This record gives sequence, C-alpha cells and structure tokens, in this order.
Amino acid sequence: MLVLGIETSCDETAVGIVEDRFALRANIIASQAELHAPFGGVVPEVAARAHLAQLVPTVDHALVSAGVGLSDIDAIAVTAGPGLAGALLVGVSAAKGMALAHDVPLIGVNHLRAHVEAAQLEYGELEPPLLALVVSGGHTSIVVMDADGRFRQLGGTIDDAAGEAFDKIARFIGLGYPGGPEIDRLAQQGDPTAFAFPRAMLHDDSYDLSLSGLKTAVIRELRRLEAAGEQPDLADVAASFQEAIVDVQVAKTLRAAGAEGLDQIVLAGGVAANSRLRARFAAECEANGQRLIVPSIPLCTDNGAMVAASGANLLAAGVTSDLGLAVDPNLALAAADATA
Amino acid sequence: MYVLAIETSTSRSSVAIVDQDRVLASASLGIPRRHGEFVAPAIGFCLTQAELSAERLTGIAVGLGPGLFTGLRVGIATAQSMAASLQLPAVGMSSLDVLAFQARYVPGLVAVVVDARRGELFWALYRSLPGGVQRQSGLRLGRIDQLTAELESQGEDVLVIGDGSLVYRRELQVVDVELAGPDIAWPDAAVLGELAVPRFIREETQRPTDLQPIYLREPDAELGWEERGRLYGGGRT
Ligand SMILES: [Zn+2]
Repeated sequence: MLVLGIETSCDETAVGIVEDRFALRANIIASQAELHAPFGGVVPEVAARAHLAQLVPTVDHALVSAGVGLSDIDAIAVTAGPGLAGALLVGVSAAKGMALAHDVPLIGVNHLRAHVEAAQLEYGELEPPLLALVVSGGHTSIVVMDADGRFRQLGGTIDDAAGEAFDKIARFIGLGYPGGPEIDRLAQQGDPTAFAFPRAMLHDDSYDLSLSGLKTAVIRELRRLEAAGEQPDLADVAASFQEAIVDVQVAKTLRAAGAEGLDQIVLAGGVAANSRLRARFAAECEANGQRLIVPSIPLCTDNGAMVAASGANLLAAGVTSDLGLAVDPNLALAAADATA
Repeated sequence: MYVLAIETSTSRSSVAIVDQDRVLASASLGIPRRHGEFVAPAIGFCLTQAELSAERLTGIAVGLGPGLFTGLRVGIATAQSMAASLQLPAVGMSSLDVLAFQARYVPGLVAVVVDARRGELFWALYRSLPGGVQRQSGLRLGRIDQLTAELESQGEDVLVIGDGSLVYRRELQVVDVELAGPDIAWPDAAVLGELAVPRFIREETQRPTDLQPIYLREPDAELGWEERGRLYGGGRT
C-alpha cells in the first residue's frame, strides 16, 4: 500500500511516499528559502507562486526516487491546514487532480499531527499516550496524542512562533535567513548567561508561550548598548536569546508531560533541528526517565513523508476526504480525524 | 477527442468536457472564493454525466488569466496534476482571449475588462475576424482612469465585456462605450474547450509544467507573519 503525501503549507514544496505506513520510500523537498531570504520571512504570494511552479516536478522527483509510477499509488494525502491559505490551496488542488486522474482516495491531513506521526517512519508504531512539542517558524504547539490515537492541543505560542523569533532576531543582528540555523551556529561561540533575557509566562499555569516580549527585549538591549557606544558580543546575544527560547520550550513541555503523566516526548518541526534544544531535551528526558523521540532532520522540517505517514494512518482507520475538501489556515487538531 | 476544460480566473469557476462539435457536460459556480471546493467535484460530476473515466480524456485545457491569483492557481494546479498524472497534452490560454471569443459575433472593437481587485483591472482590446477574434493590444493591468483613457483614444465604438464592466459601470458610462451585461461577464470553460480543440488537433500543446498563470502583477512583499493564525498558526519549519 503506497501513499503519496503533498505538503505546501508554507515555504517548502514537499512530496513523500510511504509504503505500508512505516517504510519511507521517498522524501523530496524543494525549498523556497532563497526566494524568501531577501524579505527575511515568508511572503505568502511568493510562496504560492513557487509551489505552483515546483509541485509537478517535485512529484515526479519523488516517484523516480521511489522507483514507482503514479499508477502504483494507492492514495493521495495532502496537508489541508494549518498554514498559508494560498499555499495550501496549490497542494490540495494538485492532490485532487491526482486523485481524480487515478480514481484513488484523497486524504486531507492536519500538518501538526503529521509532524508527530513522522516519527513512526523511524521509530515504528508510536505507542500513545505521548506528548509532542511541534516547534517551527509557523507553529509552537504542545500537543497530546492520547492512548486512543486522538490528538489535542494543550497550548502554544500566543504571539510569535519560535522559528519566527529566530528569523526576526537574526535579521536584526544582520544574520542570514532562515535565522534558526544562523543563531544556532553563532550561539555555539557565545555565553548563554551573558544576558538575562525574559522568559515570559514561564511560571504561569497555562501551557501557552509568549515570545514577542523576548524579541523586543533583545532588540531593546542591543539599541541600549549601541546608544551607550558599546559593541555587543553578538555570539553572547545569540546564545542568551537562544537559551531563553529553549528554557521556555523545555520547561513548558516537561511540566505538561508531568501534569498529564506522560513519559514519552516527541520533538518535531524545523526548530527541533536546533542543537541546543535537542541537547537540553536529551539531558532532561534522560534525568527524568522519559523516552525522547526525535525524528532526523529531513523528517522534522516540513516534508511530504510526514503527510504520507499521517494519511496512511487515516486510511488504515477508514478516514478519507471527499473531493470538496477545503483548506483551513487555522485547522484545529479536531477529534474528527482520530485514527483509533 | 475529449477535452477537459477548467476556467477559474474570475469569481466564477467553470469546468466542461467537450469534443469536436459539442459540449458533453459543464458545470459552473458564481460564488466567489469557492474555486478550491468546487473544481474537483465538478470535474467528477462532468465525467460521470459524460459517462467517461478520466483515462479516456485526450487533453486538458485551462485558462491562464490574467485574473484573481488564488482562483487561477486552483484551476492550473488541478490541470497540471491531471495532465501529468494521465500523461496528457495540455493547452493553456489567456482567459481574456476566451472571454473575447464569447463576443466573436460583435462587429467592431471589444474591450475585455476583468476586475483585478485593489482598484485595478486587467484588460485587452479585440476585433472579430471570420471564425474568431484577434487581440489588438497587449494584456494590461491598470486603474480605471487608464482604461477609460485608452478606450477614449480609440476613436470608434467599443463594446466593453467582462466583470470589470459590471464593477466599474458608473466610471465607464462617463465615456462613450457600450457595456455588455452579465451574460458575457465571465470566461466560460465550455468556450475555452471549444477554442482549445483545434490546438489539440494541430498538436500545438504544452507540457503540464508550462502551464503557469499570467500574473502581470508582482507579488506583494508582505510577510506572512501576520497572516498566519496565531495559536495554531501554520507552516514553516
Ligand atoms: Zn511545520
């Protein structure tokens, strides 16, 4: 059983192919980062145009990579949300065209749960309940996959996503785009305790996070130093800023795991590639006796294989979509798409 | 020959299946921003009504605009992926040409004017010829005052068609032009299919990836940070 997955929710045109729910057959990603770099962030109209230009070649690339033809594909899965409406619509329309052409099922997938389910391609069948932190430029969400396979959101950022904060600070201090890897690299030469940047909402009872105050604090500190004629050590700034972000993610996630009594933690999303975040989670989970599940980077960043995996799970549970499937930029982790 | 035609460049979406001398099936929807939900089920409906499976199609035609970007991309993405999946030839045509063809029996100059939103319009001028129409100008994007200036400078009677003639009725009535009504306000997939058939016969076709919208407008450089949903916000990793 082969499922082809299409992901166009933001700035990666991605197509993956998964066999029998767990075997990765292809995972092709056409990144648009270069197109958005001059703007320091994702431009929705630029993204939608690039998806349309890239999608068919990326599908072809994935089929060649898997050594199969489209007529061998048993179902088409596609991200229906959350994401940028115009970008999502390109992937969903193309997916419908393929489903129509070969009369195979169409499966609309939630991007956030697909990030979590990507782990099954490397770890095998997930054994919920588990907690997941999905952290990227578009989302910072703490979600639970319950024992029955249903997903629910416990909390998330109320303003900037973590990757977005990385992009904005990287841009401010003159680093390249995307900002996450640049800050990560620079931070390795810096002192994470050099600046005491705020950790907003760290001690409140919710599982929500706020990162825009941190971003503002970093910018204010840099402006203050500049006004005082002092040259800040940018590596120290990067390390301290990164530490503040990581602290909040780790603290909120672990507190949620404790409160829900969960001893498995999945880390997913592009920011899960951050070396400091990975190291801190590894150390904390080890100390607490929790199992840490972190897919490798090509399955952490936005990709089509995660969509195919999620679609394969839905298909196995008998859940498919009709051809009228609508995109939803704010698609919630609804119980409707539970697999169990 | 069975040609599937898809036209989604305006607020109206339409699909049709045509052969050399008839429209086998067609469907359209005049509700804006519903292209994404409408097009694929409508194709399914037309295939069913025409008693065809998708494998029996011989070509895919699609309107390339200029028009509303989001709708255009729905039609073009669907056309691209169907053509690629079925290994079919494709024909992309300007949606203004399709609309002009709908007024091919009108003598004299015809201005096809499509609402581009944000205070702008897409337009082009056409003249009928035996068997069709010929474009007399480039495809333009501009404001209503630029359009009326161009119409006035023609020095002859002009019929204005397209949804722009409905949206900008008051401004256009100031100049001496005739305005068409809603019957020829939107490009129709059945007409697109009819126009495309000779191209498939002459094998003047394109590969699926060649099908790209005629944008005429640079993308807005507004970042997506604000557009994304907050708590559940989508996308980039
Ligand atoms: Zn993502």
